[in-house]
Amino acid sequence: MSLIKKHKLKVITLILYLITLIYNQDIFIKSIYTTGGYLKEMVQILPAVFIVSGLITVWVPKEIIIKNFGKGSGLKGKLISVFIGSISAGPIYAAFPVAFSLLNKGASISNIVIIISSWAVVKVPMMIVDAKFLGYSFMIARVILTIPAIMIIGYFTNKFVEKEDIKSKVDNDNRYEKYILEIENLLPKFNCGGCGYGNCNEYAKAIVMEEESIDKCSVMEDKSKTKIKDIVCKVNEKK
Amino acid sequence: MGTMILIVIAVIALGWSFYKDKKKTKESIILASKLFKNTFSEVFFLMSLIALLLAWIPQSLIKTILGNPNELLSIAFGASIGTITIIPAFVAFPLAGSLLKSGSNLVAIAAFLTTLTMVGFATMPIEIKYFGKKFTLIRNGISIIAAILIALGIGVIL
Repeated sequence: MSLIKKHKLKVITLILYLITLIYNQDIFIKSIYTTGGYLKEMVQILPAVFIVSGLITVWVPKEIIIKNFGKGSGLKGKLISVFIGSISAGPIYAAFPVAFSLLNKGASISNIVIIISSWAVVKVPMMIVDAKFLGYSFMIARVILTIPAIMIIGYFTNKFVEKEDIKSKVDNDNRYEKYILEIENLLPKFNCGGCGYGNCNEYAKAIVMEEESIDKCSVMEDKSKTKIKDIVCKVNEKK
Repeated sequence: MGTMILIVIAVIALGWSFYKDKKKTKESIILASKLFKNTFSEVFFLMSLIALLLAWIPQSLIKTILGNPNELLSIAFGASIGTITIIPAFVAFPLAGSLLKSGSNLVAIAAFLTTLTMVGFATMPIEIKYFGKKFTLIRNGISIIAAILIALGIGVIL
């Protein structure tokens, strides 16, 4: 049952495409063609976006993010957020991973919303196309009204949403992902199953997520054990 | 253009990171691939669903709806079409241009363009995955209101 639920979207999509194929081949081909265009865009943009998000998570110190994007960052933080959003490429869904890693590093909710919104709307190439098809006065009026509007959206979202409200699946996975990885690297990686888990990765997960004892691995060196103990302490601080 | 800049930034940052610390780089790449695995298939299937929807709805229908002589009604229609669909910019702007020529309301087009990019019912599942339901619903809700206000503001200015 959970398997069907997990793949609900895929199943629905495939069924709808199948129905379309039977009823109207023209529309089917047109959709496939458009999907191809989307796919091209995704393949160009997403890997870069994810790499940048990963690097932010690993490298950028929390203090810097808090100083520039945190609660007390004021108008400067808001302007930096608009700037980051508007120079970035890609549709709105590409903004989520980057905004997410900044949020975890201490950026305020209002600045996250500003980044997401300006990522979607305030774009230099988009403005050029806008002016071409709808005229300069329309484009300029839209930009001038949109930037303050985005800041207001950020302000109100910040008012209504607490950081504690944001506990997503990715969040829980990723916050501990780093520690699980560190522990797995310290384990012998024989995947012998002596600890009772299928492999070293599963055992590492259990240590982090379920507070499993670290004495179950009989192959591990004592030196590694002390290091794992340190990591577990760090994890417990976070919890 | 923007895409190229993004890719160049990613490559340079990755190269710098690799030069500085191989272990940290490996960590960040594993993080990136986890993010990728978590998001890619969902985004892909959503996009193909939208492509199907767009293929079924003829552009002439959108034109009729946005050309509604009642200004307020056409703003509401513009905002709702923009909210529900995601149309890539290279399709949306020419479409908006031809809508304007064929007599649609400027404000309706403004509402349509702003909600189109800023609010996304279609991308909501992805947003929820990252930020949770409450954040997603509130951000999108406030953005719809803001988009309508922007449209009204443009009506006043122009």
